[in-house]
Amino acid sequence: MDLDLSPAQAAFRDEVRAFIRERLPADIRERLRQGHLPRKQDTVRWQRILAERGWAAPHWPRAYGGAELGQAERIILLDELQRAPAPVPQVFNINMLGPVLLEFGTEAQKAHFLPRLANLDLWFCQGFSEPGAGSDLAALRTTARRERDHYVVDGQKIWTSTAHVADWMFALVRTDAQAQRQRGISFLLIDLKTPGISVRPIRSIDGGEHLNEVFLENVRVPVENLVGEEGQGWECARFLLANERSGIANVGACRERLQYARELAARTRRAGRLLADDARLRHELVVLDAEVRALEVTNLRFLLSSAAQSSMPAFASVLKLRGTALQQQLHGLLVRLGGADVREHHGEDDESGAPHLVERYLFSRAGSIYGGTSEIQRDIVAKTLLG
Amino acid sequence: MQFELDEQQRALQHSLARLLADRHDHETRRRIAASATGWSEPHWRQLVELGLAALIVPETHGGLGGTAVDLMVVMQEIGRSGLASPLLGSCVVPAAALCAGADEATQRAWLPALALGEAQPAWAHDEPGGDGGALWVSTRAASDGDRWLLDGRKSAVHHGASADRLVVSARVAGADGEPDGRALFLAAPDAPGLAARNVRLIDGTPARELTLRRVPAQPLVLESGPAARAIDAALAFGIAGTCAEMLGAMEAAMRLTLEYLSTRKQFGRTIGQNQALRHVLADMQVSLDVTRSMAIAAAVQAGRRDDAGARADLHRAKLVVGRHARSLTEAAIQLHGGIGMTEEYAVGHSLQRVLVLETCFGDGDLHAAALDACVSRTDSPSGDGSSV
Repeated sequence: MDLDLSPAQAAFRDEVRAFIRERLPADIRERLRQGHLPRKQDTVRWQRILAERGWAAPHWPRAYGGAELGQAERIILLDELQRAPAPVPQVFNINMLGPVLLEFGTEAQKAHFLPRLANLDLWFCQGFSEPGAGSDLAALRTTARRERDHYVVDGQKIWTSTAHVADWMFALVRTDAQAQRQRGISFLLIDLKTPGISVRPIRSIDGGEHLNEVFLENVRVPVENLVGEEGQGWECARFLLANERSGIANVGACRERLQYARELAARTRRAGRLLADDARLRHELVVLDAEVRALEVTNLRFLLSSAAQSSMPAFASVLKLRGTALQQQLHGLLVRLGGADVREHHGEDDESGAPHLVERYLFSRAGSIYGGTSEIQRDIVAKTLLG
Repeated sequence: MQFELDEQQRALQHSLARLLADRHDHETRRRIAASATGWSEPHWRQLVELGLAALIVPETHGGLGGTAVDLMVVMQEIGRSGLASPLLGSCVVPAAALCAGADEATQRAWLPALALGEAQPAWAHDEPGGDGGALWVSTRAASDGDRWLLDGRKSAVHHGASADRLVVSARVAGADGEPDGRALFLAAPDAPGLAARNVRLIDGTPARELTLRRVPAQPLVLESGPAARAIDAALAFGIAGTCAEMLGAMEAAMRLTLEYLSTRKQFGRTIGQNQALRHVLADMQVSLDVTRSMAIAAAVQAGRRDDAGARADLHRAKLVVGRHARSLTEAAIQLHGGIGMTEEYAVGHSLQRVLVLETCFGDGDLHAAALDACVSRTDSPSGDGSSV
């Protein structure tokens, strides 16, 4: 048992830190610190800087523009990016679609898409959820009917993050209405400029537009945009979700918000007294510090130890449950620290430098809903324990 | 970074688990708790035969030279089994103190006896009105010719009645909570001037409160620096040991709860089919996994001296494990319903044990305050050493 970084890992971390210190644009960093989510242009700008260093797709093979980092280095890189704070590599491109193409894609698909995904020349979004298929994803009803060398797609997706700024969407569609429900599903890549697609943003409670409805009507998708076999979509989706475990705990993001809370407490006076001098608040901060450390060690233990993984096969659910709970607590705490002032609503494109802590807090409520709600995660954990 | 037990540790875990499964169960525990002494000499001898008294004593002094990770393996099994044992307080903690602070002659005089289980001292550091931390020592030691005399009070001296010696922290200089001026002494349990009140803790652990009036004692570690190191090491191993034992107690509660949910039927089906209960169970699993991580962190960091990051992790571990141990064992009782409230059934014992362990070597509030001091000093929330 050993919690230390190896000399090579420590050197890698120092290298990442130095790179971020030198290259992360100050305006992006400052916006994130204030509580903003990264805008598309922030993520694109930063990811291209990462690409120069070869870190845009940390775990992909070198042959396709990846850095081929091992699990520990991958954790270190993500952690340092979140702590900075810097945007993380675009999750739909890098963590979701990339690995699916590497596993199930044709050589032509890999050669065409992977470099464009890494450099964010194409921005993908994820078309999974539908009005009638949320937690019960396999209930999806969007159909793709084969017509010679095309699929004709009809249906509707919802909660599609970033669809309004995306170029493409990877989607689960039903190609066989007769088959048992998981088996009739296929994985398609859809160019959002194709006629028949309309995207309607959904304003969320934080005042922002991240989520969308995507309507598909007679959308013709070339068959070469099918990933894997027809009917293999569910398998692709499961693979994609299993791949998502690496960043699921968001330890670095918790650390960064905790550090920001400390800084805010150290410079905010209320009724003449520094918040940082309040014993109750200090206690709350150290409890969070200890709990975030516990999350960090748990994350390392599960991601680096196969024995730990086999002791709790649903470890990704454990990490997501704990990680989202702590993030939500931290965002809630920051809103309290911000006091009445942060209740002022500034709008998404606000450049005034005012903190967006209340917007970020409101958005954080989505953490326990997307990617499998906390209730679904608890079901998964309980199933591994009780059957 | 490495999270697997090595082969020897797995072997140790296996043999202790088998021994305890053969020789100790909840009924045995109840019988032992109801006995006059509150602990079992035969069970203790078996631990000694397995070499556990020698576990962390260096090989040069007849020990096995084990680490706090080895200790974690042992205390986790003891926690799982619910065995009342003087191992941690009467053996590991004093040995850790001597290894870290005593001079060579003192080590030679005491460590081999500890390793053989021949010496069985009790650790007398906590005081009524103290906080269980390293610094609070108000018991005074004054030299009187060629001997030392101790005056003060000590509380929560686990297994104090059966101990053949007392390791007492006392102050030769300085004010009550100051770092400088602490020292360690050895006193006989029947020394003149020593008044003892035997108590039973809520989990059945036999303990003593001591009042010392001019109690003659022999110095173990007199100098301030070495004494501080000795007390820090004792508490570090104590924290690692109690965290591992709480983990074991939680595992026991979890196992019972799983069995119960799978067998108890109400409304014509097993209660484990009810989502409300399943979700509580899932949260218990999260607590268990978080605790396991911090028990490991405590064990890995306990052996490190003069390392601020390691000290912060020990505070974090005691704080986090105590919180999750309480919530898990409370939930375990809740999921059992009425049977969980009975003394006869084992699950409630886990909470009783946790209630005692969470205050040993400093409770959550103490460690939160200590952690606050650590992170304020470094101005970094996690310590930015080479440890992640």
